[in-house]
Amino acid sequence: MQNRVISRKDLASFVDDLIKTKSAGEVIGIKAQGNKFNFGPLASAAELRLDYDISLLPPKKYFFPQTETVLKYEVGKTPKVEAVAAEKPLCIIGVHPFDIRGLLLFDAVYGGKEPDPNYFLKRNKAIIIGVDCLSPNPKSFAASMGTNITEEGFDLMLTDLGGDYFVTVGTNKGHNLINKAKTREAGAPDLEKRDKVRKEAEKKYQVSLKMKKEEIPALLDATWESKLFKDRSETCFSCGSCVMVCPTCVCFDVQDEMALSLKGGERYRRWDGCMLTEFASVASGENFREHKEQRFRHRMYRKGKYLVERYKYLGCVGCGRCASACLAEIASPAETYNLLKEAK
Amino acid sequence: MKPRVAFFDFTGCEGCQLEVLNFNLEIVDLIGAVDIVEFREASSDHSDDYDIAFIEGSQTTDRDVERVQKIREKAKILVALGACSCTGGVNALKNRFSMEENLKVVYGDSAKLYSTIPTRPTSAYVKVDVQIHGCPPNRNEVISLVKCLLTGKKFEQCHNPVCVECKLAENICAFERGEFCLGPITRGGCNAVCVTGGRKCWGCRALVDEPNVNSEKEILKKYGLTMDDMMLQFKLFNGALEVSK
Repeated sequence: MQNRVISRKDLASFVDDLIKTKSAGEVIGIKAQGNKFNFGPLASAAELRLDYDISLLPPKKYFFPQTETVLKYEVGKTPKVEAVAAEKPLCIIGVHPFDIRGLLLFDAVYGGKEPDPNYFLKRNKAIIIGVDCLSPNPKSFAASMGTNITEEGFDLMLTDLGGDYFVTVGTNKGHNLINKAKTREAGAPDLEKRDKVRKEAEKKYQVSLKMKKEEIPALLDATWESKLFKDRSETCFSCGSCVMVCPTCVCFDVQDEMALSLKGGERYRRWDGCMLTEFASVASGENFREHKEQRFRHRMYRKGKYLVERYKYLGCVGCGRCASACLAEIASPAETYNLLKEAK
Repeated sequence: MKPRVAFFDFTGCEGCQLEVLNFNLEIVDLIGAVDIVEFREASSDHSDDYDIAFIEGSQTTDRDVERVQKIREKAKILVALGACSCTGGVNALKNRFSMEENLKVVYGDSAKLYSTIPTRPTSAYVKVDVQIHGCPPNRNEVISLVKCLLTGKKFEQCHNPVCVECKLAENICAFERGEFCLGPITRGGCNAVCVTGGRKCWGCRALVDEPNVNSEKEILKKYGLTMDDMMLQFKLFNGALEVSK
């Protein structure tokens, strides 16, 4: 597919048009929130902050909301059960490559033999307009994880060339969409410029893995007994911040909530995470990961080994959100893997 | 037969009862589901026959202690409702002073006509079956408890610290706003209402199951605060709890 180049002004018109016509669904974009950034409904292209580092929550929230009703039921002589799943066409603008990688992992986990309807009804309708991350967060190590750039998972990918944006077209949907905008064909010099900008951005990452990412599973295989897990988790609050902000944390809890009338109710799911004390508690009262060092270790294994073995994707995309959110400053998987490697 | 529910108020601002009355439409469902036989803030009815007793406020006189013990004898289930009953709440601020001093400040020359005892949680005097934390308590939690009692389901307190709910609400961390927040060691279930409203957590829902107080102290240093700063904030609602410096 033919890549394009678009001026800042024409990109703004394109976005404003999407907002006005809703031709691609509700338009969501990356915006400022205080001195941070977050995804939210876009009222105008002027709100877009494509120069951001990370959003407070990853865009997964649009396909896997924090809480979501999945079932409604009525009790009595003729009980009724009704699955609740609604589709909602969305166009999300400003998704970074590492968050797109996070969504690809989600697709693998929520897909398979029995795809999750609540997730895919929203996900399949969505248009993803990505943007290359040119000012990485100080805690991010996406370059080490190979997720600072992606060749898949987007309809359009923007790269800020200074004056104009390079538009990498990823799908037919993206092609048809950008055709409505005023652009010009991208030539070889434009492509060269895009690649140069990406290379320069790669140098800006301040945290890096001291090994190839492919070595992480074997490293973990050899360090199960490491004292480091206990030492490093000493200051852990078990507050769950790291898992709540993670673009690859897929877990949820399910609860039935009866109405006060006791005639029926609903079943909902809510984000849950393995760093919380009750996560591995079961009905008998047993907790399989009672101690914080067990939970801390589990998270590192989950990200660096279990998910790779099952889905071929590393469970960490190196965005740096967990490390930014962690008050105890222990959450960064890169730091733990580096320390494990040093101690070995 | 519908369960008979009674609300009893002790020392407190009665904000917990007000919060229950604030249920809006749900109050209609609540009245349909249970018989409310005692609720001073909403009704002049009075009864000694009840199954579930909600205790609001702390016991701050010997007479209060006797009264709550009598309620315990009659109630099948006793619920501590709100911070004052669960932890002593703001009433425990008076524990920093001698009881004589407190009486003098409040009653002046008439102090000798009154008596008072240090504030302790209701659980210090009687067996408490369920705690609904908070100042005020979260109304959804009260409703959830009533539903559990009606259906025989076990009521589960929230086990997460407030941080989880801040993240779900997409709040900027209060620490990043330069505030010292008790959220990391405080029991959630409030939907992080204070931080969402632009403030910080004062710990009104008491400590979470496994509070990492040592780590909270480490953070103090990082933000240039002292242990006294933290205790001042923590003791606003948790003055009756013993936390070692």
